[in-house]
Amino acid sequence: MRALALACLASALCLQAQPRTQEWKLQNGLRVLLLEDHEHPLVRARLFLSLRPGDTPPGRPGLAPLFHRMVVHAETADLKPGDLDRLLEDSGIRLTQSLGTDGFSWQLAARSRDQDQAMGLLADRLLRSLLDPALLELQRLAYLQRLEHPEGSPRERLRQALEPGARATRSSLGAITLQDLLAFRARVFRPDRAVLVLHGDLGLEQAKRLVLLSLGTWMAQEPGPQEAPPPSAAAAVPAVPDEVPRIPDPGAGLRVQALAPQPGDLAPEVGALLSLLVPGEASLDPVRVTLGEGGLVATLDSLEGSTGAATWSQLVERLEGLRRRGFNRRDLDQARLAWFGRRSLESLQPEAQMDRALAESQGRGVREDRLGALSLDGLNSGLRDWLDPAKLRLGAAGDPGDLDRLPRPDERRVGKQAPGDPGG
Amino acid sequence: MRPLVLILATALALCGQAPRPTEVQERRLANGARLLLVERRGLAAFNATLVFQGGRAEEPASATGATDLLARALFGATWPEDLEPAKGSPDLEALLKQEEGLLEALRLERVHLKREGEVPTQVPSLEAGLAALQSRLKAQFSASPLADLYLARGGRQRAEATTDALLAQTELPLESFEFWCATEAQRLRTLQLSRFSQARTALVAELRSQGPQGLSLLCGAALPGHPYGRDLLDDLPSLEALRRSDLRTYAHRVLSPNRMTVILIGSFSMDRVLPLLEQQLGSLPLPPDEEAAILPEITAGLGDRRVQAALGTAPRLLTGWRMPPRQHPDHLALRLAAQVLAGGQSCRFQTDLVRQKALVQEAELSLDVPGGRFPGLLVANLRPSPGHSLAEVEGALQSEILRLQQDPIPQEAWLRALALLETDHLLVEDDPAALARSLAMAWVQGGDWRLWELDLDRLRALTPEAVQAAARTWLQPSHRTSVLLEPTPGTNQDPVEAELARVLKALATAHIADPAQREHLVSEGIRQLRMLSAEERLHTLNLLKAQLGPEKR
Repeated sequence: MRALALACLASALCLQAQPRTQEWKLQNGLRVLLLEDHEHPLVRARLFLSLRPGDTPPGRPGLAPLFHRMVVHAETADLKPGDLDRLLEDSGIRLTQSLGTDGFSWQLAARSRDQDQAMGLLADRLLRSLLDPALLELQRLAYLQRLEHPEGSPRERLRQALEPGARATRSSLGAITLQDLLAFRARVFRPDRAVLVLHGDLGLEQAKRLVLLSLGTWMAQEPGPQEAPPPSAAAAVPAVPDEVPRIPDPGAGLRVQALAPQPGDLAPEVGALLSLLVPGEASLDPVRVTLGEGGLVATLDSLEGSTGAATWSQLVERLEGLRRRGFNRRDLDQARLAWFGRRSLESLQPEAQMDRALAESQGRGVREDRLGALSLDGLNSGLRDWLDPAKLRLGAAGDPGDLDRLPRPDERRVGKQAPGDPGG
Repeated sequence: MRPLVLILATALALCGQAPRPTEVQERRLANGARLLLVERRGLAAFNATLVFQGGRAEEPASATGATDLLARALFGATWPEDLEPAKGSPDLEALLKQEEGLLEALRLERVHLKREGEVPTQVPSLEAGLAALQSRLKAQFSASPLADLYLARGGRQRAEATTDALLAQTELPLESFEFWCATEAQRLRTLQLSRFSQARTALVAELRSQGPQGLSLLCGAALPGHPYGRDLLDDLPSLEALRRSDLRTYAHRVLSPNRMTVILIGSFSMDRVLPLLEQQLGSLPLPPDEEAAILPEITAGLGDRRVQAALGTAPRLLTGWRMPPRQHPDHLALRLAAQVLAGGQSCRFQTDLVRQKALVQEAELSLDVPGGRFPGLLVANLRPSPGHSLAEVEGALQSEILRLQQDPIPQEAWLRALALLETDHLLVEDDPAALARSLAMAWVQGGDWRLWELDLDRLRALTPEAVQAAARTWLQPSHRTSVLLEPTPGTNQDPVEAELARVLKALATAHIADPAQREHLVSEGIRQLRMLSAEERLHTLNLLKAQLGPEKR
């Protein structure tokens, strides 16, 4: 208990050491978070635009990634895509865009003297991109080529294949029209869905002026959503697919992998502690567990002489064993202590501070009072939910001969012995 | 009085907002280890980096892979039983010695079996013995999910084996500084390496699963006979023969204080950290004098070299020019040249090769491959767009190099390159882990950490003419090696493509005797197929299938 009190004290000191989050909202609904830090003449900005269930209409998987590709390559009202890049880089501004499972993100880094230029160009890219049929066809083709000739090693492709979300196909991409994309933009590109996080060498008044000038004119093109639920990973994750991804890698040993997506209704405090405990759990050996964007990833490489089916069962059984057994009181206390220490490490990384501010603004932040009050039952119930075998997404990469001998999807659950698998 | 207070308050506020350049304080510990301290006020945690000069390039043949193994087995985690073996079970050391003996016996038996073929073997009994021993060993290790001592305190650690150095970075809450000093000193004193065999198994499996890499082929062809050209994949038997005791002996020699620099970034003063460091890391013993490793020199002008290989799933062109080491005056000029050619989205490679000519899908340039302490490579890595050959891409790359050498660099491109480099420098300065790494690499590659600090001023002092002169000196055909990588047939996921590869192989086997020609025909056929629509592909496949005998269809 004393150790926990000390950890809380350290955490309080750490909060003092980190930049305080200042928050305000523009009239158009855009929320802005500012973390002032004048250590270096540098400003970072991240604009996050959340995706919600229902944003992609049925039969249109691939709409969001295709839209993302188009925005990256589109002309703006005044500038060709190459000209916009040149203007950014003339001032040494770094701008990157990404699409995650929960939304779009634009990240910007600029010398503080170039912050006006940087925010102005970010607004151009965001609000004044022109979507036209020629660009659609070009990007559709590029996306198709990427789908048909995926990059990366077979093991990297296996990891990608397990990511949650419906997969785009040739026919679903072919069905997307320009109207679909324009409707998607009107639905999603709304200031009241966006959060802007600023970090670095700028004061509050300066930041307010900057945001108002660059993004103050951003208006929603459609009426506001009717109390849409907050973004939920669980809602976005479709049911476990019937087809198990099998990535051929001629001559290579068999690798079996499982992704356990983080349940959308998992309390952030439970998620934080399990993220510390599960990867180090000795009983999972030889299964290796890492924490990725989509959830927990468990990996097992087949040993020489063992069958693919046995490897498959071993992976699922190890996870199921931990799920049934759970953690004990000592593990919970240790994880709490480790979490308080880990929080202080955020002061070393501006990006981590921005992540945290964003998570807190979305109600996904870890609260210390709730963390302290978390019971062992609460922790283990979260574990059971997270490692639910019915929600595991399984896949394999290896020699085509080994892949063919793997059990079919309906045989892969625990307790069902695969044909030709002596060990079960 | 009131105006004075206002003026003072304003001055203080301005002073707080003014950017401060990174101030690095340097000291030497009693045993010769270097200390670099960067004070950052207000941080609740610190970054501590241990850097050992040497790296893969200085490994003798008998210790191939030792740097990678030390990164994994020594600095990859912080287990209690590695730090205080005396407090733990007395059996641990004995078990580790037994494990070493069994591993060696098993290796020799397997070598014997490979040579002699079908003979009675002890392999199964040795394997069973090893498995039983390893489960006893595992029982000695802590089973807690937060057994790692740094993880239990909320910290994280990362070790990196490079060609020039071994780096171990740790981030911990500020109050754990004393603990870090004691832990690292103890780690270097005991060199317990209890997880040696797991680390080696994982490394070997990783290398095998990756298979040959294009960049390793390039380094091997461009830097023959030099450790920079060595590929660990070629030395797997040596790696498998390395014993825990060999690695410990090697570690005692290379992880010595006179090769070590400690870099600390955090909210503490030199007065606070120096006594603690002196007491712990400053008291580490020095190994007996050793002769510095003498590495062969590589002449830059070895002649234009070309290698063709079937590797990976997509065609690629890798071109490397032998370039000077980091200390050389032309090094920075080549860095700026690389920025003009391939830095950012509006560089020449992007505007000309990717957008205008649509010849390539991706274009990158990397410096100091695989290292910068000795002459390394400047590497262009280009992936052709569908429908374009590697020969076309090679020609376009050469045109860009000639343009850089002959045409004046426009002022706007020059200023853009400098602006991007300045932002990147600031981003590194703002991130303690990146800053520590940059200081470390400046020291191990250039002999002085100040090289990083001075980089920006020296880059600003360069002229476009100096960059062109360096490009003319170093980016010439006699310094060049090109690796042309075609995809390995049959590795692609597309079932139509896999089927086409099968049909083409069958057709080629029936009509062409020369295996090289057959291989070429299959690769070329697949390349042509990728340019067709899905319907056309199926149609072509059916036409080709019709030419096969019924039993082969």
